[in-house]
Order: sequence, then C-alpha cells, then structure tokens
Amino acid sequence: METARLNEIVESYPTPTGKILGILEQVQREDGYLQKDVLKTLAEKLEVPLSELYSIATFYSFFTLEKLGRHVVTVCMGTACHVRGAPALADTLKALLKVEEDETTQDGKFQLTTADNDFTVTSARCFGACSMAPVLRVDNKIFGYMTPERIPAVLKQFGWEEDTHQNA
Amino acid sequence: MTIQITINGNPCSSEAGESVLTIARREGVEIPAFCHDETLAPYGACRMCLVDVVSGPKKGVTTACTLQAMDGLEIITDTPEILRLRKVLLELYLAQAPKSKTIKALAAQHGIKKTRFAKKVHPEDPLQGQCILCGLCVRVCRDIMGAGAISYIGRGQFTEINTPFYEENDACLGCGACAQVCPTQAIAFEDITGTRVMKSWSETKVPLKQCAACGNYFAPVPFTAYAYEKLDPAIRDEIRDLCPDCRRKEMTRKAILLRAEGVGR
Ligand code: SF4
Ligand code: FES
Ligand code: FES
Repeated sequence: METARLNEIVESYPTPTGKILGILEQVQREDGYLQKDVLKTLAEKLEVPLSELYSIATFYSFFTLEKLGRHVVTVCMGTACHVRGAPALADTLKALLKVEEDETTQDGKFQLTTADNDFTVTSARCFGACSMAPVLRVDNKIFGYMTPERIPAVLKQFGWEEDTHQNA
Repeated sequence: MTIQITINGNPCSSEAGESVLTIARREGVEIPAFCHDETLAPYGACRMCLVDVVSGPKKGVTTACTLQAMDGLEIITDTPEILRLRKVLLELYLAQAPKSKTIKALAAQHGIKKTRFAKKVHPEDPLQGQCILCGLCVRVCRDIMGAGAISYIGRGQFTEINTPFYEENDACLGCGACAQVCPTQAIAFEDITGTRVMKSWSETKVPLKQCAACGNYFAPVPFTAYAYEKLDPAIRDEIRDLCPDCRRKEMTRKAILLRAEGVGR
C-alpha cells in the first residue's frame, strides 16, 4: 500500500489512535494482508508501539501477515469437523492445488497460496456450522457435508481447472 | 479517607479505593499473586489472588488485586473453595510453564505435584518453558519505561510474549525491567563485552555505555539516555557519563576537596 493511501485511511478517522482496528481492517481489505512495512509506518504515525500492532494482527484471525490468493479456501478444523474428516479435506485440497507445507506452525495452522496466486488454503476453528460438518468455506460461501470427492466441483466454481496432464 | 475492612476476621484500616491485595500484603496476610505490581494498574490476569467477599456490595469469589477497599468490606482468603480453585490454577500453570521453579514450589506447597493438563513443551522456547503470561513484562515495558518493545503474540493456548515479527527490536532500551518484574524469572539476557543481548526477546542487541573514567561498561546506552532525560540538569552534569563506582569516587573526591578548602580558609 502506498503511503499516500495509508495516510488517507488514517486521516479518515478523527481520532485514529482509538480506531486501530478499523484502520487495520481497511488495510487488510485493500492489500489482502498486513505488510510489515505498512505496520511499521502505521506504528510511527499513530505513535503506538509496533509490538501492539503486531499483537492485534496476530490475535484476530481476520488479519493475515502474508498475502492471500484471489480466493481463500478455509477448512474448518474445529472439533466436529475434525472428527468428521476435515484432515482428509485439507490433504485433498493441498494435493489438488499443489501447495506444499514447508512447515506446520506449532498450533497446527497452515496458510498456503498457489503459485499463480489464485487460491489460498488455510484452516480455522469452528465456523459455528457443526451440524453440516465437515465444512469448507470459499471466500464467503459455506459448503457443508464435504467429501474429498466433491472438492474439485467446488473449486471449479471459483475458476479452478483440473490439470489433465496428471490424470493421463 | 480512612476506612475499615476485615481480612480473615481481623480489622484493618486503609484508604478507600486501595487494592485489597495491597492491604493484605501490608497486614502480613499471604495471598499468592503473580500479575500485580504496585507501580502498575491492577490487571487481574493471573487469577491467583482469589479471595472470598463475605460482606460487601458483591459477595463471592473475586480477585483481590482488582478489589477496591470500601468501608465494611469483609473478605476471607483461605476458604475451602478458594483453596480448591487455587489448586486448579496451579495445575494449569504447571501445564503452561512446566519448567518454572516458582510454579512448582507453590504447587508443591498446595500439595500439587502433577497436572492433568497437557504440558507445553517446546525446547526452543525463548522463555524456557517458564512464562505464565502474567503480562507484567509487557506492561512495565510499555507503561513504565514507555518502550513497548514486547507484547502478546497470537491468542488462546498459543499466546506468547516476544518482539514484533520475532525480530530484534530497536524500541528495547535494554533496561531489563521486564526480567526484574517477571514472577518466574523466565526472561534471559546477557552482557557480552559492550553489548547487552536480550536472549528472550529475539536476541535484541543493545549497546552498553562505557564509563568515562574507568572504561567499564555499566548500562545500556538507550537506557542511560532515557534516565538522563529524567534527571535534573544539575545532577545530570554532575554524574555525567560515570559508572556508579566512579561516581562515588568522584563525589568523595569533591567532598574532600571542599573540606580541604574550608580548612585552608
Ligand atoms: S515473561 Fe515473565 S513477566 Fe513476562 S508474561 Fe511471562 S511470566 Fe509474566
Ligand atoms: S467444528 Fe467445523 S463448523 Fe463447528
Ligand atoms: S494478582 Fe490478582 S489476578 Fe494476578
């Protein structure tokens, strides 16, 4: 994000220091993530410690520190979904979208983006839709009763194309 | 305004609005507490200081540190319910900070040797498996020192304390106030010739200041800048860039000179 645009966002609030969440939310929406440099500039501008902004950015799952793809596929890893097969969904997604995990974070979360930047696969805790477990979310759409077999059809709705070479 | 409150049946006088934990400590009543420091605002994070309010506007179990004294307040610090809750907390702390001697000792005092909860173990933890997330280091760094070099990262059971992006942070003054307030001695730093290395805070390095007289390193540069700014200019000029030892010598020398002059006159 350009500094000019950041200034605009900050100045749109009469009391920016009380509106840190709002500002970060706007940046996340426009950039798709919270860039380190943007956070640093913001910390200086608002005169709040960078540690505080980083703390907020890592607390709310709405914020990400790495760029997201055009579509975000979120696998619910809540208890109900986990029990009903969420790990298999995650594995299938990773295989289909050809994203590899270089390392799993200690909390078992992952966020992987395809090389063409079309898709990001990530995990989250309970969506509150356990009755339809296991649940997938693509952008703002929820897909319940998911099975690995149904995933390609879902992805196709979002412009994914099956790699035919591999199947041959 | 002076008021009366009752702790474990004993009347104590205090100021209205004082923290009940502060009063209890002054009266010699022992209440375990991890997240309270008299220089900081009550926080109520660690939950160790639970007491039972038996007479007051809101009866029941609450944290003593955040409880404000008012006339007629009556509390008990060791009901069976309080002891039961404390034991659960200690079990949780044994899981959160399995390496902490402080926690182990207090748990043992309460007859707790084991925890039913999954212990947090990761060998590379910069806080050495001893952090109980009381937040004192974060608050002293931000609210007292004005640096804000560290904060909470993440949330829930994965919360950690460290510098933003787990990178060296030049906001750190190297003062070590964090290590000073830490109830479990989780924070490590080391002075290696001329540099203070904050091992727990992503290896943040802070240069040390050399004494103008003897050449010994005596305090982190940013911290002395912070301290000198707070000092009366007259005193500041007098202590200049001397280490405490040389400062003492210098003052003695001056005093002797003054004397000598007086005698000479
Ligand atoms: S490092 Fe020490 S002072 Fe800081 S939160 Fe952990 S236990 Fe508290
Ligand atoms: S556990 Fe997945 S929606 Fe609740
Ligand atoms: S000292 Fe009261 S909650 Fe920590």
